Amino acid sequence: MGNVSVLCFAASYTVALVLEIAGLWVRFGWHRLAMVVMAVAGLVAHSAYLVYHSVGSVAFLRTPELWYLVVAWVLAAFYLWVVFTSPKTAMGLFVLPLVLITIALAETASTEPFAQQRASQFWGALHGSLMTLSTVTVSVGFIAGLMYLIQSWRLKHKVPPSPEFQLPSLEWLERTNSRALSFSVVLVCGGFISGIVLSRLQHSGDSSYQLFGDPVVISLLLMLVWLIVAEVFRMIYPSARRGRKVAYLTLASFGFLALTLITFTMNDVHGRPREASAAQSQDPSAHFAPPSVASSESAADELHLVGRHKAEVLS
Amino acid sequence: MNLRMVGCSHHQSNIAFRERLAFTPDQAANALSAWQQSHPGVEAVLLSTCNRTEFYAAAAGHSDAFTDNSLAEYLAGWHSIPLDEITQQLVSLDGQAVVEHLFRVAASLDSMVVGEPQILAQVKQAYELACELGSAGPHMHGCFQAALRVARRVTSETSLHRHRVSIPSVAIADFASRIFERFDDKRVLVIGAGEMADETLRYLRDAGAKRFTILNRDPGRAQALAAQWQAEAASWGDLHRQLVRADLVISTTAAGHPIVTLEYYRKQIADERNQRPLFILDLAMPRDFEPAIGEELGTYLYSIDDLAAACEQNRKSRQRELPRAERIIGEETSRFLTDARMQVSSPLITQLRAEWDVVKQAELARLLNKLGDLDQKSQEEITRFADRLVNKLLHPPLQSLRDEAENDSHTSLLDALRRLFQLRE
Repeated sequence: MGNVSVLCFAASYTVALVLEIAGLWVRFGWHRLAMVVMAVAGLVAHSAYLVYHSVGSVAFLRTPELWYLVVAWVLAAFYLWVVFTSPKTAMGLFVLPLVLITIALAETASTEPFAQQRASQFWGALHGSLMTLSTVTVSVGFIAGLMYLIQSWRLKHKVPPSPEFQLPSLEWLERTNSRALSFSVVLVCGGFISGIVLSRLQHSGDSSYQLFGDPVVISLLLMLVWLIVAEVFRMIYPSARRGRKVAYLTLASFGFLALTLITFTMNDVHGRPREASAAQSQDPSAHFAPPSVASSESAADELHLVGRHKAEVLS
Repeated sequence: MNLRMVGCSHHQSNIAFRERLAFTPDQAANALSAWQQSHPGVEAVLLSTCNRTEFYAAAAGHSDAFTDNSLAEYLAGWHSIPLDEITQQLVSLDGQAVVEHLFRVAASLDSMVVGEPQILAQVKQAYELACELGSAGPHMHGCFQAALRVARRVTSETSLHRHRVSIPSVAIADFASRIFERFDDKRVLVIGAGEMADETLRYLRDAGAKRFTILNRDPGRAQALAAQWQAEAASWGDLHRQLVRADLVISTTAAGHPIVTLEYYRKQIADERNQRPLFILDLAMPRDFEPAIGEELGTYLYSIDDLAAACEQNRKSRQRELPRAERIIGEETSRFLTDARMQVSSPLITQLRAEWDVVKQAELARLLNKLGDLDQKSQEEITRFADRLVNKLLHPPLQSLRDEAENDSHTSLLDALRRLFQLRE
C-alpha cells in the first residue's frame, strides 16, 4: 500500500473522465466496462492511500491534504454509486472533474497537521467530519443544480434526448438539490459550532487569540449565513422551492464553499496557536513542520544562533 | 419441412380489409382448435394484430395436407367471406420466405412504425396461444422461438427501438419523462377529446399515470372519454382550476383561436402554480396555447411542429440502423435454415451409417473366420482397419451433405443419396 501515490488514482479518474467525454461522440462495446474498471481501480487505490496514511495517526482527518483527499474519495464513491444505480446518466462528466479538482487542491494544501491536543480529539474529529460531509453535500447540490439548468435548457429548446448524454429528470434533480441544500445547512452549522468549541478548548486562557481573525472562520461564517438565508428564503417563498431558483441557490452556495476552500488552502495557520503561526511565518524552514515540533525547533534554532553569535564574539 | 404463410398486412391492405380478416383472441383460439381437428398433423399459429392477420402452417416433409389455397379458404370461411373477394389482397409465402418474413415481423422491421415494441409481445402471445391449444409442434416451436430470439438480438445490437417516431410517444418518452421521474402521482388534464389525445393517454397510462381529468366544451363527450379511461370529467368553466393543479396538459380542441393566451396564463395561472413544472402537449391545429407561454418559468410547452422535428430525427436515425437489422435477419435466417436442413438429413446419415456398419460387420466376420486362429492384436488391427475404411469412404458424401445444408439444393442431394445407396424412409 505504501507504493500507492496520488498520481495512481488521479490517473485512473482522469482516464475514466476521458472515456466519459469520448463517449459523447463515440462508444465501443467495452466503453462502459473500461470506464467502471478505471473508476473502481481509482477508488481502490484512493482507499489504500488513505488507509496507509491514516494508520497509527491520532486523528483521521489530521492534515488539510488528507481532508481534501477524503472529500475527493466520498465524491468518487458517489460517482460509482450513480454509475451502478443509473448507468445511463452522464454523471461522470460533472462529478469526476470535481474529484480531480479536489485532488489537485489536496496537492497544494498543507501536509502539516491541524493543531490538535488530545483533549480536543473528539471535537477535532467531529469538526473535520462535519466539514467533509458539508463539502460533499454542497458539491452534490452544485452538480445537481448545474445538471438541472442544462436539462431545463435542453427541454426548453426541444432538444431530443441523446443516448450519449443522458441526465436525470428535472424532478429528481430538484429533489436532490433541495435535500443537498437542507443537509448542507445542518452540516455546516454543526461544523461551525464544533469548530468554535474546538477553538475554545485549544485557546482557553490565550488572550491573544482572536477567533474571527482567522480568514477560514470568517469565510465559513459567511457560507453558513448564506445557507441559512437561502433555506429560510426557500421555506417562506414557495417558488424558491422549485426549479431554477433552487438550482441557483445551490450554485451560489458552491460559490461560498469555493471561497471557504480557497481561504482554507491559502491559509496554513487555520486552527493553530498564534505563536506557532507567527513562528512559521517568520521561519520558512519550520513552515512545514508540526506545530509542537516547529515550536521546539524554532527555540532550538534560536539557542543555536545565540550560541554561534556568542562563539563569534568570543573569537 | 413444409412451411407456409397466408395473410394480409398494412403493406397491401387497407384498414377496412384488415378489419374483415381480424381475429379477437377468443376467435383465434376457436379457429386454431377447429384447424387442429380438420387438419391433424399440420401445425398452425395465427397472428392477428391491428396491422396484420397472418396464418402460419407447417408439416413434416412434402405434405399435401395444406396448400396456399386451403389456408386462404380457411381464413375466408371462418369470417364467412367469399374467397374471390380476398384472394387479390392476400399474400402467400413458403419455405425460406416464411422464416425471413416472421423474423422481420417479430423484429418490428415490417411494422407500420418500424421499431415499435408492441409487435414482439403480439408474436409471443400468438405463439403461446398455439402452444396452449397444442396446434404448435416442433416446426412452429423452432420457427417462433428463433423469431423471438432474433427480435431480441435486433433490439440489443441496434438502436432501432430507441428512436420513437410517433408524436405522442416522443412527447411522453422523450420529453415528459425528462421532466418527471414518475407519473403515478401526477395529474393529467386532457382538453378536448381528439384521437391524438386518446393515443397520448395510452402512452401515459403505460408510463404509470393514473389521475386523468377530461375537459371538453361538450360535457357528454368528456364524460364518455372519462368513462373509457376511468377518469374525471370536468366542465369548461373549470379550466382555470384544472390548469392550476395539473402537472401534464394535453390539448386537442378544434378551437379556431388559442384557448389559453400568454396574458391569461401569466395573470391567472402562473402565480398560483408557484413555478411548479408543467408539461403542455399542444396537439391542436391551430394551437390552443400561445407559443410564448413556453417561455414562462417551469412551463414546458410542445406543439406538433416541435415534436415533428424530433420524430424526423429519430426516423433518420432508424434508417441508419436498418441495414444492420436487415443483416442480422439475413444471418439468422441462413443459420435457422441450415440447422433445419441438418435436422432433416440426420436420420438419413444415421441410416446410412447403420447400413454400412451391417455390411462391415458381416465382412469382418467372414474374413476373421477365413483367416482362422489370429492373435487378439491382429484381430483388433483388422477391425480398426475396417472402421477407418468405412469412415473415410463416408466422409466425402457426408461433408457434401453438410455443405449443401446451406443451399436450397440440399433436398435433391438427399434424394440422390437415398437413391444411390437405396435407403428407404
